[in-house]
Amino acid sequence: MGGAGMSGPVAPPPAGEDRGRVGGSSSRGDTATRLAIRYGFLVLLAGLVVFFMAAAEGFTSVFSAVFIFQSVAITAILALGVTATLVVGGFDLSIGAVATSSMMASAYAMVVWNLGAVEAVLVCLLLGLVVGLINGMLVVYTRIPDLLATLGMMFVLIGLQRIPTEGRSIAAGMTLPDGSTAEGTFSAAFMAIGRHRFDLVEKNVLPVSVLFMLAMGFLIWFFLEYTRYGRVMYAIGSNERAAALAGAPVRRYKIAAYMISGVFASVGGILLAARLGRGDIASGNNLLLDSVAAALIGFAVLGAAKPNAFGTAIGALFVGVLLQGLTMLNVPYYTQDFVKGAVLVLALIFTFTLSHRQDR
Amino acid sequence: MIDRRSLLAAAGAALMATSLVGTAQAADMPKPFDKPEDVKIALVRYLSTGDFFQAYLAGVERQAKALGVDLRVFDSRQDAALQADMVDQAIALGVDGIVIQHGLTESMKAAAQRALDAGIKVVAFDVNVENDKIPQVEQSDRDLARLALEQAIKDNGDSFKAGYVYVPGIAPLDRRDETWVKVKKANPGIEEVAVFGTLDNPIANSVANQAGAALRANPQITVMFAPYDEFAKGVKIAVDELGMTDQVDIYSADVSTADISAMREPGSAWVATAATNPAVVGEVSVRALAMLLAGENPGASVIVPPTLITQKDLNDQDIKNMEELGQKLPQFSHADVATPAWMPLPKR
Repeated sequence: MGGAGMSGPVAPPPAGEDRGRVGGSSSRGDTATRLAIRYGFLVLLAGLVVFFMAAAEGFTSVFSAVFIFQSVAITAILALGVTATLVVGGFDLSIGAVATSSMMASAYAMVVWNLGAVEAVLVCLLLGLVVGLINGMLVVYTRIPDLLATLGMMFVLIGLQRIPTEGRSIAAGMTLPDGSTAEGTFSAAFMAIGRHRFDLVEKNVLPVSVLFMLAMGFLIWFFLEYTRYGRVMYAIGSNERAAALAGAPVRRYKIAAYMISGVFASVGGILLAARLGRGDIASGNNLLLDSVAAALIGFAVLGAAKPNAFGTAIGALFVGVLLQGLTMLNVPYYTQDFVKGAVLVLALIFTFTLSHRQDR
Repeated sequence: MIDRRSLLAAAGAALMATSLVGTAQAADMPKPFDKPEDVKIALVRYLSTGDFFQAYLAGVERQAKALGVDLRVFDSRQDAALQADMVDQAIALGVDGIVIQHGLTESMKAAAQRALDAGIKVVAFDVNVENDKIPQVEQSDRDLARLALEQAIKDNGDSFKAGYVYVPGIAPLDRRDETWVKVKKANPGIEEVAVFGTLDNPIANSVANQAGAALRANPQITVMFAPYDEFAKGVKIAVDELGMTDQVDIYSADVSTADISAMREPGSAWVATAATNPAVVGEVSVRALAMLLAGENPGASVIVPPTLITQKDLNDQDIKNMEELGQKLPQFSHADVATPAWMPLPKR
């Protein structure tokens, strides 16, 4: 897994750079800084885990580890999606709304339209693809800055998800706007996405959502780091014009990035619906903020100083470990937000200050 | 030609007949409800996500329709500053009455006063605006919590290890908390070993993550007091995911169709909830406002009494949704509160 950082631009600086500096001690200091930047965040994560193992009863168990993964699965999947847009130098503010819209769409498909699990999942994926396509076209062809285009899309979706039910949440047996009662229910197969557990070491341990997260994480990581397409995306992100001059179809890649982001977010929504067992109207803003935080924290992992899938996954895990551990210690939610923010700022210092100083 | 004239006449007669019926009804009504179509009221909401608030809105709409008044709905979606602005918008719109639904005392106090200054009648539901002229509609959160906790003690004895879900600063949750503190004091055997809670939406999902952590840190917990149904849903998800359904009992407040099906799942840990019908609370809010508009006094606090709903009740009477709950537990479907003789009630 450590391979993610190896291909990053923050390779050790050329030997020539040290020549300008005075004395050997500063060179040793540089090595320390370099190590701190490269492994600092992972060490911090390990330290955190050790701390909670000592302080919080019940933190140390297979079940506990799995639960942490489960609690971050949805955020992580969204974060992995937004990483794809970050890589091409874009941003997607609509992922939270795509996720909750997809949750509503799956619930609507099953409860109101009486569709099965497979159809409901397809509806959601299609929704994610279409939203991503529109986002990409808005950014590429109408030249609306990415933040603004996806912000607009976010509001459109928050509104849209409420229109079919006139603002109601969707549950089996709900009353429809025309006064009749919905006939459909969440199909058992669909619920299994949220509730089934595979055996791992012990019986019924590994939830489907965690498996989804791992699979999608591996997929996007491999895609971004090891395929030609991924490398072109990074090239576009670092210098769009140069990439275009080198013959990369920049527009197509950018649109594809938003479509990846849309699909990942819609998968997040499917998992959300399967876990809750109903369609809950929600803006998804907390999902958006948490996943963006995870992706940004990811910049600091292994000193990558750029969006990367491995870092994003670690970032999500980091936030998950923190929140689980703090909750186990009975720390109230506002303190948890504070800690989350502090971690993000720290990660950004790692990325923008320390790494850049080293680059110079 | 004749045909058309006779048709017109027939149509006119029909129109007259209906309007006569209309006026016959309206004649018994005190001003300004003798001309209800000229009465404009606004509902200014702070919270709207979740089944409870949907049902509340449905009740408000139903009672407004029964009265025949023009209802405008403003939804600030948990934005306190926006909610205050929306009161000003309603004032500018020239409404006759405003129902303030939830909100923060600090931001709504001044806004409510501005509405009163503009000659508008105001009632507040579940938000204390610290104003004698504004009746408080309450679903008696203290009674809600009391009913649920009495059942918990009945089921589990007066000494158990409990987890508690709470977010301070929300008026109804604060009032429920008062009861919880009182009950804990009166029963020293009840030990609160974990407290958590968040309103990050989707709330049930965020609470499930927290509850999972809390239950693993304190596996000796046997009772979860989650006095808001979104909290209870989250706790139930965590209990299921951890396979602790046999061990943990969940007691909550509020109810909805989705809650009923969650409580009735085989082996569900969610054993009881205390609730006032949110739709009835919505109806009562509008009735209290209507009484004010008609120059009557509904009283400083208008309390809607709660009902205890147990898993056993639901299973024994095979109740599947809110409609059946209202039919089979009649005390749940109507509250005889704010009902002067002239008040038209929604049809059932």
